[in-house]
Amino acid sequence: MAETKYHTKGLECWDKAKELRTKYYKDYAKAHDRGALRWEGGAWSFDALPQALEGEVHPLTEEPYGASVGADPETQVRYQEAAEGKWGCARDLCAYLRSYWGSIILDEYFFGGKWPKADFIFQNHICCSHGKWLQVVAELEGGQIPYFCFDVGAGPYDKIGERQINYVVEQLYDGIEFLEKTTGRKIVDEKLIQNVYNTYRSACYWSKVCELNQAIPAPLDEKSMYSLYVLGTLQKSSQEIADFYVELYEEVKERVANQIAAVGNERCRVLGDSQPPWGFLRILRYMEEYGIVSIGSLYTFSLIGWWQIDDDGNLVPYPTLEDQGITIKDREHALRLLAEGELRGKLMWAPFYGAKFKNELVKKIARQWKCDAAMIHLNRGCEGTAMHQMELKIALAETGLPVMTYEGNMADEREFDEARDMRLIDLFLTETMGLKKLAD
Amino acid sequence: MLVAGIDVGGKNVHIVLMKDGTMLEKGAAPTGIKKAEAVEQLYDKVLRQAGLKREDVEHVVATGSSGRRVTFAQGVIPEAAADARAVVRLIPSARTIIDVGAEEGRAIKINSEGRVLDFAINEKCAAGTGTFVDTMARALEITVEEMAKASLQSTQSIPMNAQCAVFGESEVVSLIHAKTPKHDIARAVHDAIAGRIGSVARIVGLEKDVVMIGGVAKNTGFVESLKRELATDVLIPDEPDFVGALGAAVAAETGVIEEKVETRVVERQDYEESSN
Amino acid sequence: MEPIEKFLEVWRHRHDYARDWKARTGGKVVGYFCTYVPEEILYTADILPVRILGGHEPPNLASPHVFDMWCPFCRDCLSQGLAEKYDYLDGIMIAQSCLHVRQAFGAWEIHIPTPWKYYLCMPNAVRSPRAKPFLAGELASFKEAVEEWTGKPITDEALDKGIEIMNTNRRLMKQVYEFRKEDIPPVIGTEAMMMVWASQLMDKREHNELLKQFVEELPNRKLERDPGIRLMIVGSENDDRPFMEMVESIGGIFVIEDHCTGSRYFWDEVVPGEDRISAIANRYCDRIPCPSKDWGATDWQRKRFPHILNLAREYRAEGVILTQQKFCDPHECDIPSLRRYLEDNGLPCYFLEFEVTVPVGQFRIRVEAFLEQIRAEELFV
Repeated sequence: MAETKYHTKGLECWDKAKELRTKYYKDYAKAHDRGALRWEGGAWSFDALPQALEGEVHPLTEEPYGASVGADPETQVRYQEAAEGKWGCARDLCAYLRSYWGSIILDEYFFGGKWPKADFIFQNHICCSHGKWLQVVAELEGGQIPYFCFDVGAGPYDKIGERQINYVVEQLYDGIEFLEKTTGRKIVDEKLIQNVYNTYRSACYWSKVCELNQAIPAPLDEKSMYSLYVLGTLQKSSQEIADFYVELYEEVKERVANQIAAVGNERCRVLGDSQPPWGFLRILRYMEEYGIVSIGSLYTFSLIGWWQIDDDGNLVPYPTLEDQGITIKDREHALRLLAEGELRGKLMWAPFYGAKFKNELVKKIARQWKCDAAMIHLNRGCEGTAMHQMELKIALAETGLPVMTYEGNMADEREFDEARDMRLIDLFLTETMGLKKLAD
Repeated sequence: MLVAGIDVGGKNVHIVLMKDGTMLEKGAAPTGIKKAEAVEQLYDKVLRQAGLKREDVEHVVATGSSGRRVTFAQGVIPEAAADARAVVRLIPSARTIIDVGAEEGRAIKINSEGRVLDFAINEKCAAGTGTFVDTMARALEITVEEMAKASLQSTQSIPMNAQCAVFGESEVVSLIHAKTPKHDIARAVHDAIAGRIGSVARIVGLEKDVVMIGGVAKNTGFVESLKRELATDVLIPDEPDFVGALGAAVAAETGVIEEKVETRVVERQDYEESSN
Repeated sequence: MEPIEKFLEVWRHRHDYARDWKARTGGKVVGYFCTYVPEEILYTADILPVRILGGHEPPNLASPHVFDMWCPFCRDCLSQGLAEKYDYLDGIMIAQSCLHVRQAFGAWEIHIPTPWKYYLCMPNAVRSPRAKPFLAGELASFKEAVEEWTGKPITDEALDKGIEIMNTNRRLMKQVYEFRKEDIPPVIGTEAMMMVWASQLMDKREHNELLKQFVEELPNRKLERDPGIRLMIVGSENDDRPFMEMVESIGGIFVIEDHCTGSRYFWDEVVPGEDRISAIANRYCDRIPCPSKDWGATDWQRKRFPHILNLAREYRAEGVILTQQKFCDPHECDIPSLRRYLEDNGLPCYFLEFEVTVPVGQFRIRVEAFLEQIRAEELFV
């Protein structure tokens, strides 16, 4: 391509991100060789708790696992067909869940070898599938895996008071009792406290990174962001991962200061919604040929990021404990802070309580991140992130933003018609947006 | 300027030759399996009818689900874009286009320049398409034309419970066995598709005037059902099945819509405020 | 009019009934999604709770608001609202349950003008000991919101009255259900469920009067039919009368069910306590759960399964029809396990996926085959 409008270059911490992810999946598989424990849960489980057990402990989070499988359509179809054919589940259930179940049924670990059975389940529930997902896993594994699931559906971020926090904190105490009883190991308070500091750093620094994407040109494109936030869905309480986000923040700040762009010819900024079809991320690269940068979405920003709304009504990163000048005193304090951060800060949960929440938050993103259009992936693979997507379309269109929807599935290629969706995307880009491909 | 517009759909090819904005000649043929071949043959036939040769045509633009099969075209535009360009020329007051073809039902919201503002498409299923009509006519053992006329004589509305073409066919058979008059079944079929298409149209909003095009627009029985479903008048241009090809010809004449952006696509006041 | 005819009339002409009720009583009507809504508190304030049900019509108006991977029932409910069928409602509310029905509520809040709206944050972890105090807090806030809306304080005496209306209704419906255990049940499944549907739509005080009459009449009620094969039906929301009638016209009889439009709705009573709000909260956490809430805090087993098996045994079902609204995730998660569980316990199962409109002809052929299978199995026992 001829000279671009802005300088562009790859991220320096990119390899580190890849390394951390690879190590995570390997550690889980090999945990038992080292006398370590294995547990499975969700990307939203409060990993700070089980990771505070004595000794070495490794988690496997279910959604990122399903997403990894989804990026390899051939394996994905094989796993899902096992879940549908051998177990008999419906084809329209969560795509990650079906891949995960199929993986167990076929006794295959996507990252190599046999399925590494967990020692216990530590889950939380907010969408319809979460508590049920690992319930079936426990059953598939012979009914012997100890199961714990707590509820975080205590209300939208703006209604979180003492009662809501208590509800979750009390369940976390039950979780501690469960963990200690199940594993015969103790929860180490020093570890717990450090894990909570780390969770805050991971969640808040990711938001700070996303906030930097308000800059023109955007220092990050959403396709890259997917590979970066994933660490927070794996183990946000880990020291290495929290450190990574601080490091990433420093690097992205540098990029903004030096006008380093993610897309060299950025001239149009697009807002997304829900997970993309993982096997077809080339769509985003294709859009770059038109000078389009996808700057993020409520999903990408707040799947792990914590946010708050300031006095001017703007979305701003949730403050870290250091910013708030808080020193964690003890177990109670740690659990309360953890529950508070998740319930107040994780705006990804807001749409569960109504379309009005999603509409307001995404309109803020469109405004603050200076978006020119929105492209909503009507995701048949995930009810949770697909909440109120058509309402969002209406709300964004009312602000004058050109909006398109395209139907697909984040991790079931059988439900993604690439040719049909590309026709829609082409139509939107060339006709509604009036863009032409940039000359090579 | 002499131009050609070629619409290659799932079932039929339509070709329009246009000179200085006026239609000169047109032709249609089944697409068949060998799509490229069907296009070549029809193109030559239409040229022959007009007494012209290929080199007389200055620009060729193709459209349709297999528009890219037209190897000799200089450009390809999306079907919705072709629809929009043609409709705004035929009926300048059009703001919503409903296009029901053999394999797809879609709704397009346009502005006065024929720019596509919003677009929706039926789910991947035959229940909202021309194929559904064909299938049900077969079950009724009448032609589509006969079914269209028959449904106009119906006085009662019978709901079709089946939401898919496969179940729909057996439901039609059940209705026949129950001795339901054919014209009432015909209307039930049209009402069912009109419901599906109505859903798609509501997604883009129903700004007037509403124009229907595509092969199914010739089915007067269906059009009546659609008017009832949408509770609005629906305008139909002459030869609604040639609209896609006409739109491609318009694009061949005028070029694709010029790009209007320099750096940012949309400049809006509220964005400027926040980007200080 | 016979009670059963009245139930049918209310179900068929639910909107006329509600409008008439408003005119007669001058009271407020609140539409509700999901049976986790504590109707006790609404009755306390002389409000008529009316469950939002679909119209069994293709949900064509819902498409711009909820795309089609969401369950047809929630889309149908929304579509009915958008068609202004519920224009008499003074309020609309939901108790937090599945994501599907929350879609319908979310769009309703924005697009269908309704003076009063309420989202009750019903906990998901109903089987955690922490859920009850949390829900009690939510109910206390809800009570305050109702007081503020109606301008009338809600006393303990009034709460007792609300609890009594609901408990009486539950008790009487259970009495009717007892008759379904008989060798030749005097009430078929379609009628029994219609009674429950009517209960969700009409003033329970009036419903209770009809129930009392019905319970008195049942010992003398004889149905002129071969009872047929005793079936249980289990699944998501179901008020699909043509389907129920079809099955009961081809040699089957539904003797019991587990649906939120059936036994699951009324099976459990409020156990009175000094703290009325806590008593109500306990009932909604302890009730037979919807699959969306059926997972334990420290135990993966489902509470609903043994309950279903017990019902099947008590009512002597010979086979089970498992149904779900298309796309209903909570039921979809349970069905493969439930099917194995029931079959392992000697109950043949047949699965059917429902939409709001059901092609009865198709289903007839399939149910006939299932009935044949049960008959054949009986021959070889």
